[in-house]
Amino acid sequence: MNWLRQIFLRRRIFDDLSVEIEQHLEEKTEALMAEGMSRKEAAASARREFGNVARIEEQGREPWMWATMESIVADAKLAVRQLWKNPGFALATILTLGLGIGATTAIFSLVNAVLLRPLAFPEQNRLMWVKQQDHSLPGIVPESLSYPDYFDWRAQNHTFSGIASYDGGGVTLEMDGEAQRLDAQMVSANLFQVLGVAPVRGRDFRWEDERPGNRTVMLSYSLWQSQFGSAKDIAGKTIRLDDHSYVIAGVMPKGFQFPLEGPTPALWISLSDEADSTSPVTSQRGYDFLNVVGRLKPGVTIEQARVDLSLIASNLAKQYPKENKWYTSALVEPELQHMVGDIKPALRVLFGAVTLVLLIACANVAGLLLARGSRRSAEFALRAAIGASRAKIIRQLLVESVVLSFCGGVAGVGLAFGLLRGMVRLMPLNIPRMEGATIDGTVLVFVVAVSVVTGLLFGVLPAWRMSQLEPVQAMREGTRGVAGGRGQHRMHNGLVVAQTAIGLVLLVSSGLLIRSFVRILNVDPGFDPKHVLTARMRVRVPFDPLNHDRHVQFYSQLLTRLSALPGVQSASAGWPLPMSDTNATIRFRIVGRSIAEADLPSESVSAVMPGFFETMRIPLLSGRMFGEKDDSKAAPVIMINQAFARRYFPGENPIGKHIQVALGDGVIEKPVREVVGVVGDIKRKGLTADVEPQYFLPYAQAVITNPFLMIRTSGDPSNLEGALRAAAREMDKGAPVYQVSTLENYVSKSVAQPRFQTLLLSCFSAIALMLSAIGLYGLLSYMVAERTLEIGLRMALGAKRTDVLRMIVRRGLTLALIGLGSGLILSALMTRLLSGMLYGIKPSDPVTFAAVTGVLLIVSLAASCVPAYRAALLDPMETLREQ
Amino acid sequence: MTFSAKKTEQRDLFRGALEMMILQSLRQQPMHGYALVQYIRQRSNELLQVEEGSLYPALQRLLKEGLVKAEWELSASNRRVRTYRTTPAGVKHLEREISSFERMMEGVTLVLSPVKA
Repeated sequence: MNWLRQIFLRRRIFDDLSVEIEQHLEEKTEALMAEGMSRKEAAASARREFGNVARIEEQGREPWMWATMESIVADAKLAVRQLWKNPGFALATILTLGLGIGATTAIFSLVNAVLLRPLAFPEQNRLMWVKQQDHSLPGIVPESLSYPDYFDWRAQNHTFSGIASYDGGGVTLEMDGEAQRLDAQMVSANLFQVLGVAPVRGRDFRWEDERPGNRTVMLSYSLWQSQFGSAKDIAGKTIRLDDHSYVIAGVMPKGFQFPLEGPTPALWISLSDEADSTSPVTSQRGYDFLNVVGRLKPGVTIEQARVDLSLIASNLAKQYPKENKWYTSALVEPELQHMVGDIKPALRVLFGAVTLVLLIACANVAGLLLARGSRRSAEFALRAAIGASRAKIIRQLLVESVVLSFCGGVAGVGLAFGLLRGMVRLMPLNIPRMEGATIDGTVLVFVVAVSVVTGLLFGVLPAWRMSQLEPVQAMREGTRGVAGGRGQHRMHNGLVVAQTAIGLVLLVSSGLLIRSFVRILNVDPGFDPKHVLTARMRVRVPFDPLNHDRHVQFYSQLLTRLSALPGVQSASAGWPLPMSDTNATIRFRIVGRSIAEADLPSESVSAVMPGFFETMRIPLLSGRMFGEKDDSKAAPVIMINQAFARRYFPGENPIGKHIQVALGDGVIEKPVREVVGVVGDIKRKGLTADVEPQYFLPYAQAVITNPFLMIRTSGDPSNLEGALRAAAREMDKGAPVYQVSTLENYVSKSVAQPRFQTLLLSCFSAIALMLSAIGLYGLLSYMVAERTLEIGLRMALGAKRTDVLRMIVRRGLTLALIGLGSGLILSALMTRLLSGMLYGIKPSDPVTFAAVTGVLLIVSLAASCVPAYRAALLDPMETLREQ
Repeated sequence: MTFSAKKTEQRDLFRGALEMMILQSLRQQPMHGYALVQYIRQRSNELLQVEEGSLYPALQRLLKEGLVKAEWELSASNRRVRTYRTTPAGVKHLEREISSFERMMEGVTLVLSPVKA
């Protein structure tokens, strides 16, 4: 509390000082009077010899102050009073700054949440994403691991304290006769240990839990709460998942989530289930689908780990050439970096864009300050005259700017709150960790820093201008109400040119993104996504030879029912569904070509029910489609797409050729299939993805998984969900219907990221356009106001109103043109940074450049016309009289 | 703190010179501000003239450092004045400053004196 006492003490000290100085002057005056001066003369002389009383008192106080800090506070108080007296100016600046700072803050919180914030695991920088590299293709092609590969990596490496596997899927939880579908992850026993998070209840997984017969499950906190009423004695209980009984090992802490991408798992299942079968997936090398995360031993570098794992990989490639021939090295990357790698460039561009918006806002406010400064020149001249140093004046003006930008910062935080909410809620987008974007401590520090920097940025020019004033001249001018020399105009003009240029860069960028986005939307996916409802349903019998036909029958009956529903045009089923992130590639041999086992090609496989191509509206190009009679007893058949035909049968007719696919469903094992039809290509991964070779098998001849149902409707497909569920219940009460969505929704999700960046960037450039227009408008209005006298004179001397109009508009357009010229050069340089985000359009697209320049020119013209018109309407007599 | 040598242009004295003179004067006898100005002016044969006000910031600095202390007293002319006197720390500080000042002057003199062949 020492400082508190000091504050009270200081009052006394300062009072003493004032009294002391007062008495000094008194004593001096008396002494001078004793020499014969009059009292008045003596007092004046005493003051003259004493020096500047106010300044000396201030200097006397300084040793007791936390020097600059306190005078800054005093300056700030003064600044607040100044703003209070001038609410219009204050509001305009604060809103402008709020807009700039708000947009910047919103994007920064996104960047912070997605890119900067570390993962919520202890020593997360040691967590590594691990894959093997597929060297059969050029470039970096990560390939997932198979269980045997994973087990070998786990056992043989020397650089990781643990390597864990995980793979997502759905399970059906049956409780009290109700079935529900849950997102689950099939994980190795050491996953939680590798992540460094222990369960809050029960025990962690053990190695035994990976062995057949030990089905064990770990619950998420939210599932524990919602389904088990947070029962304290939950560990050791059993639950039924997918018709098997599982022992509950424990409950993970609240908020624990892994993996962080994709749906949040409700539970984690031990590998026991995978190992429990006659030909378990855990022993099938070549079945590559595992995700792997590892924790580096302390002190081990990423490169050492990569070398270590690559050695293991190349040994495995030699040992198992049939499956692993091409996987001779490993890829190791920090988990966080891997997770956000895809979104990084987009966020960078967005952050760059908001920074430009902020710069324009700064230029705008600097312009306002310049104009206001010239009105205040008398005030500052007076200050200088009574002893304020140049540094002091600059400081006071800068403090004023920073106070302004802090107010703008507060407004900006409010705006950022709203923006963030909109961004997170309105955009269905799979940016990992995006929902975590909030205004937290880091963001607030950022806001403060940005406010200070912004304040200094827009304040420094006007402040420097003011400090250059010659007191005497300024005071004289100030009283006449005309101020601001040539230098100030040049500066103000420069600001307007700069903001026009930056605005053009932003507009060109968003124009390019919009055009690119429109191109993306116009891409033909190869199927018709409109009016199709999709869903999945699980048949409650295992995928084994005994139940083979039951799966097929179930879906045939279901499809018959669905087709009969009112409003349904056709119904079918198939797996995978385009753009749903489901896929499998399987190797095949074309009969009559001799290729070594290890070199067999591999392409995307689909298993489809009859009517699939008709329902999806994928055109048949030659041959025939699958029909009801292509069942398990009929001759095995296969269909291919155009890309497949082009790659594997160039210049040949593929119909009638034979292909053996390395896939069996237990009933028919790897049969030789005859190509019966060729269909059109579809975009499987997304609208911007390349077309890939694909082949199709009848579901009845390849029962591999629960297919997606697809129902083409005449009306709004989402209206059909109720009828679908009812039909499913009639078929099997305990079979859950899940992943219900329209096909259009999948397509829309696949373009979520381009939509997101296009929308945001367009918002920013709209703001930029507005601010630049306001900037130009402000400058010209100010110029008109300042030159009223001159304009009045001109008109009195015979200038026509049109001359005046033309004069002002010419000034506006000249500035705009200079701005546009430099903006075009800047844009040509900057838009190259966008090239990775553009689809089907060059960064230097002349149409965009021309259109955007035109828009900005028109807006500038409009912004110039208003003040020009006002000037033209001036009544010369009146203005002259007023002056 | 500005200090002017009489009849020449204004020139800043080196930092601490005014403080040294104040401490030295107060060591001779406690004084209040006005008296201190007169005293320094007389002692310098009116060669140095303190801009009267500049004394006060210097006094405040010395007060803050604890080198002088001040008390309200009645002066000889029966005026209530604030009288400053040096503290032991002030005296010690002054001695240290003087010796370093003398060393510096010695150096300056040597440099300025004509070079001997």
